[in-house]
Amino acid sequence: MNMKTELKYLTYALIASAAITACKRDEVDPITPPPPTNEEELITTLRLHFHSVGGAEHKHMVFTDLDGSGGNAPVIHGDTLSADSAYHVHVEVLDESGSPAEDITQEIVEESDVHQFFYQVSGANATVAYDDADANGHPIGLETVWTVGAASNGTVVVTLRQQPDKTASGVSSGDITNAGGETDIEVSFPLVIE
Amino acid sequence: MQAQDGTCALVLSGRVIDDHDKEVLPFAELYLPELGRGAQADSAGHFTIAGLCPGTYRLRAVHIGCEPVERMVKLEASMEVRIRLEHHALELHEAEIVRSRPDEHVGQAHEQLDKEAMERGSGRTLGEMIAVIPGVTTLNSGPTISKPMIHGLTGNRVLVLNQGVRQEDQQWGSEHAPNLDPFSSDRITVVKGAASVQYGSDAVGGVVITEPVELPRSGPLGGEVRALGTMNGWGIGGNALLQGGVKGVTGMGWRVQGSTRSMGDGHAADYNLSNTGMRENGASASIGYRDHRWNASVYGSWYARDLGILRAAHIGNLTDLQQAIASGTPWYIGAYTREIAAPSQAVQHVLAKADAGYAVSERGRLTFTYAYQDDQRQEYDLRRGGRSAIPALDLHLVTHTGEATFKHWIGRHVHGKAGVSGLHQENINVPGTGIRPLIPNYRKESAGAFIIEHFNLTERLEVEAGARVEATHLDVAKYDGSNVLIRPEHQFLNQALSAGVNWSVSDSTHVRFNLSSAFRPPHVSELYSEGLHHGAAAIEVGDPTLGSEQAYKAVLEVGSALLGGRAHASLTAHAAHIANFIQLRPSGVELTIRGAFPVFNYVATDALISGLDASFDLRLLGPVTWRLRASTVHGRDRVKDEWLFQMPSDRMENTLVYAPRTTGKWKRLEIAPTSVLVLQQQRIPVGVDLASPPPTYHLLGLSASASRPLGNGDLRIGLRGSNLLNAAYRDYLDRFRYYADARGLDIALWITYWFGSPN
Repeated sequence: MNMKTELKYLTYALIASAAITACKRDEVDPITPPPPTNEEELITTLRLHFHSVGGAEHKHMVFTDLDGSGGNAPVIHGDTLSADSAYHVHVEVLDESGSPAEDITQEIVEESDVHQFFYQVSGANATVAYDDADANGHPIGLETVWTVGAASNGTVVVTLRQQPDKTASGVSSGDITNAGGETDIEVSFPLVIE
Repeated sequence: MQAQDGTCALVLSGRVIDDHDKEVLPFAELYLPELGRGAQADSAGHFTIAGLCPGTYRLRAVHIGCEPVERMVKLEASMEVRIRLEHHALELHEAEIVRSRPDEHVGQAHEQLDKEAMERGSGRTLGEMIAVIPGVTTLNSGPTISKPMIHGLTGNRVLVLNQGVRQEDQQWGSEHAPNLDPFSSDRITVVKGAASVQYGSDAVGGVVITEPVELPRSGPLGGEVRALGTMNGWGIGGNALLQGGVKGVTGMGWRVQGSTRSMGDGHAADYNLSNTGMRENGASASIGYRDHRWNASVYGSWYARDLGILRAAHIGNLTDLQQAIASGTPWYIGAYTREIAAPSQAVQHVLAKADAGYAVSERGRLTFTYAYQDDQRQEYDLRRGGRSAIPALDLHLVTHTGEATFKHWIGRHVHGKAGVSGLHQENINVPGTGIRPLIPNYRKESAGAFIIEHFNLTERLEVEAGARVEATHLDVAKYDGSNVLIRPEHQFLNQALSAGVNWSVSDSTHVRFNLSSAFRPPHVSELYSEGLHHGAAAIEVGDPTLGSEQAYKAVLEVGSALLGGRAHASLTAHAAHIANFIQLRPSGVELTIRGAFPVFNYVATDALISGLDASFDLRLLGPVTWRLRASTVHGRDRVKDEWLFQMPSDRMENTLVYAPRTTGKWKRLEIAPTSVLVLQQQRIPVGVDLASPPPTYHLLGLSASASRPLGNGDLRIGLRGSNLLNAAYRDYLDRFRYYADARGLDIALWITYWFGSPN
């Protein structure tokens, strides 16, 4: 066939194809997402509250990353512990990205059998012992007792594992090596003992 | 099969003729599937198959780019057939055996898996099925997720066509395998080359084409039923297909098909791969009509798959990853179960397609195609507070595609096709996940026009040239860091060119050369990713200023029959330059509440990817044939002057096929032990990966099959054993190689009953 007829058919094809891909524009564009709700699962704040045993000392170690990953860098505050003393330590986990702040600690308590905190001290003279237990008698780590020795400087890494194997060797005494599970929190605090 | 005595010395020969203009169709392929015998027509359309026993056979005629057609041939004496009509006692009226369509793959290196080859891959994913082709590998995420990789390129750079329609199923994700049932097709073609002129954007590495044999046009019911079981994971499944003509309406036919498969945890050499179960279901139906003048068909398919993600691969942060790498065994190994728990994926894909064609004249045919795709993907994570049942990622992707093409013949030597195509797509994050979306909502519209012309210069030489131009508009809707709604828009204008030559140097040697370009506009994930990608334990950051990738690829394929037909060798050399090649590169580490995570940025570089695919077949004494397949790929980042990350390593596969002549009822007996050798990847960029590439590994396999007639059809049984020595190994292209070994010993068994006549 000649070029003219061919061109005619090609034009029909073009129009037909355009008709197929035409779309109707509504007033509310269907791809507009709804306003973001607060991201669940987000942990912005980890606070360790230290109360000296039999004393009136209060210390705090805080990690905050209010805008979640990305954006501003997290802010970490360690604290100085008194040498040769003991502390009751209580953990608070929050989502402060919205208002009011969401208490994640309660969720962890409700699912305590699948959560465990680990405390790895290095460089400083301090040992951490568990002071709580889940329904199966395994430690959770929201409450601990810290025994602090001579003056020293180091770090403590606080890790929260979800679904760890609490029965694996060493796990119930605070050894993270065989714990497994997913890491929900891993924060390294400077630890100074004076 | 190999006739030695006098009674099986019949010759089936003939000519393949274009039904439209009565011209010969050179290089058409004729195949008798039950005998495993075939021949290629020469440049004059003439073919010969000798040494045949009397009987009734299916004769399949294929011309590359056309849908193959099958007819029954009753061979009582040596005969010559003209595959068109009239000239012979064979009543081949109802249909044109060979469709007069232009060869769309002139010069493009391509290979096909026919139905028999697909059956040998029963129980495998689409990616693993085609990985038997040299140059094709897979990017895996554990034992159940495989993405096809062609010459080192995967994801958005490999186009998958489902029934001729571009499959849109979130293919950007490295743990997103194609959502389609390979058994909804009878044939899979892999084009290894930059093919944007023919197929549009994204065909940078190549194209995986699944399309069925034509619908029957008359005749009684035909079909197939298959049951299969696999040992690794204790999988069971089956497929069934039924097709037929419509009584009283010549030219009309229909087909329905369904598949199902269920599998529990896989098993590595020494331990369970916990939470790698899978459930898969699919169904399709089509009905169509064809005569000399026009054709129309409607097709619909539904596919759903649930799969578990290896529990031990779901780690938290950099510390966990380093620990997993150091430990060498998965941190979570549970007892075998068929249950799929979080983390897991659930996908559903619906495809509806309508097409119509009309022969406007003897020299022109107009076709229209419209397709609708609905893809839903939910990814479930381990979540606190009872939220594990709420998906962490919930995407809904709706795509409309349309194409109108005009195929034309000019004079005796020129034919081609010109057309326009369009796409409209919307991606929505279904609200309710409670997590900031990984990729934003967007709308994508594109329109393109293309032309491909094909010239028969001489009897032995054909050339092709083509061009395409395509415009894409991307409209994104998302909330930025301060929760303000922003609506960025992007525009891309791309073009592609191609030129190819197909030269029959002699009766036994042919050369194919192709130089083409391809383009790929950046995907929203590359432009707008932000934040932690949980599945990858990395923070990925997109770059909205990225532009389209532009690839130029040259492929040279030389194939030759040697030693008087005893051997066949084929070598494909390829080289591609990709400008603006987008990849993830580490840029540091970011501290979050969960610890440190590596940060990866999407950046553009200049890539040069080259390599070689080789195949060699040699018929040794009698019924034993040796097959060798080997490939190597070199990927280079020219800007950083280092190797590219995640390129396939050198590999070689050796098979000995023993196909003895049988005298009993069982025919086509074939036993083939295989050895696969994959070398350690030495060509790696420094400082990008957290673990060294796994060592060289070697696997032994075995496949066996036999068939016998039963009633109105054929019964086929088959077996496929992989990793027979239960070797513990890891593959560089497995994203889960940091956490666990790959699958150990596996044996798959299937039994198929094919009945009725195909047409």
